[in-house]
Amino acid sequence: MKPISAMALLFVVFLGALFIYVSEDIPDFGDPYSPANRYVNLHISIDAGADGLEDSLRAGVIPEELSSRIKARGFPSPSETEYSVEEVEGGWDVLIAKEELLYPEPEKYYFLKEEEEGNKLVVYRYSIPVRWEEKCEEEIGVPNMVTAGLADYRGYDTLGETTVIFTAGIAVILLLRRRGKL
Amino acid sequence: MNGKKGKIWEENVIIETITRLMVPFIQIYALYVMVGTEGAGGGFQGGVVFAASIVLFTVTFGISKGRKRLPESWNAALNSLGLYLYAGVGLLCIVLSLGAAQYLNYAALPLSQIMSPAHTRALMISDVVEVGIGLTVMSIFASIFFDLAWKGEEKKNKDKNKGDKEVQE
Amino acid sequence: MIDWSFGGGIFIAKYNYWISILLMLIGFYAMIAKGNLLKKVIGLNIFQTAIILFFVSLGDATLGSWGKGVTEPIVKGTLPWAAGGIVEHGVVYANPLPHVLMLTAIVVGAATTAVALALIIRMYEEYGTIEEDEIIEKERELGV
Repeated sequence: MKPISAMALLFVVFLGALFIYVSEDIPDFGDPYSPANRYVNLHISIDAGADGLEDSLRAGVIPEELSSRIKARGFPSPSETEYSVEEVEGGWDVLIAKEELLYPEPEKYYFLKEEEEGNKLVVYRYSIPVRWEEKCEEEIGVPNMVTAGLADYRGYDTLGETTVIFTAGIAVILLLRRRGKL
Repeated sequence: MNGKKGKIWEENVIIETITRLMVPFIQIYALYVMVGTEGAGGGFQGGVVFAASIVLFTVTFGISKGRKRLPESWNAALNSLGLYLYAGVGLLCIVLSLGAAQYLNYAALPLSQIMSPAHTRALMISDVVEVGIGLTVMSIFASIFFDLAWKGEEKKNKDKNKGDKEVQE
Repeated sequence: MIDWSFGGGIFIAKYNYWISILLMLIGFYAMIAKGNLLKKVIGLNIFQTAIILFFVSLGDATLGSWGKGVTEPIVKGTLPWAAGGIVEHGVVYANPLPHVLMLTAIVVGAATTAVALALIIRMYEEYGTIEEDEIIEKERELGV
């Protein structure tokens, strides 16, 4: 048998150390509020103790300071398009109409949550699977969310991938059909 | 081939009988998995299970009998049929709506005036697109298996091929 | 005895990450340290499987549904246009996005393995061996 190669082991140990170094950003196993599953913390916050903040949010108006800060970070700001504010348990949902070619409609985009420490109002952003799970039944009508996503929401990916598997078959034919007649 | 002792494979009654019984049921299950809308499943999964049934038959009965069941011409035709179905449905959506809809927008077909757009989408996904993907995947995996398992034949007659340099492989 | 939540809960709360890292390193070692070409292809497959497992396990939501269980992403109930279609509410679903992306990854891995095996067969017919060292020696003898 060949002796164990030392350079390969060293490389593997170095890679393992790198993986341990980045391991604190990985979300917990089974966390329903991780950035991949529900929402992402944007770290934009304003003071929640200001007068009339809750009343203005109930009336459906977002304060100008928050909109300008959201816009300064590069996200679509609510004050430029039509928006609406709804109250759910734990915070407020902000529905904005993003710029689309045809028929833009307001959809769930931001989530304002009250934090106890420091009495702040923090802005979160919803991830894509939230809309996927809620609108799948009425838009597509297929109960299986994975097949609906594969064939309708992500149809181009599936088309490209069928081409990949077809090309692999053709490549094997080109390599191996000279040795005799099948 | 001259120096080998014994046969390449032996006939075994139990394995042959069980394979002959099981292959149709595996294919029916593959078709059930291919329509992946009510339960788990999809085009890729159903196509792979179907190809597994072809591989099982070939491993048990020998490669020439397996090739007789799936001839080379059928294999080459089914290779691209699924891809034609998928891309063709996308083009049909542009053509039939006279340029108003995008590629692969299934709700723009004239079927959506009889049924609701969601029903049209579900029908096209489960009946046309998934079956197309399953056909291509099944045919490609069977073709890859036959190519990898075939060994070249020996050409015994030297008189016929006088001009060729490489006669025997 | 031992306080398992040291390090801020890194080692027990994220055990899917550590299992996947272990498999990844095994596959990576097989790819670069073994001399046989076929063992390298198998190492590549192990590597791909580890990454796919980790990505699918990111979409789990078990901690948010004690007593009810998290289901697969298939809507409970019948189709809405069938007679009496009733859809249940308040069910916690697993995230369907990683499943969709990893289906493509699995098929691409299978295609890569098929072409790699075909290449190995052709190399065996040309050189007569699959070991990497002997192939390099034969290439040197040919004077390339």
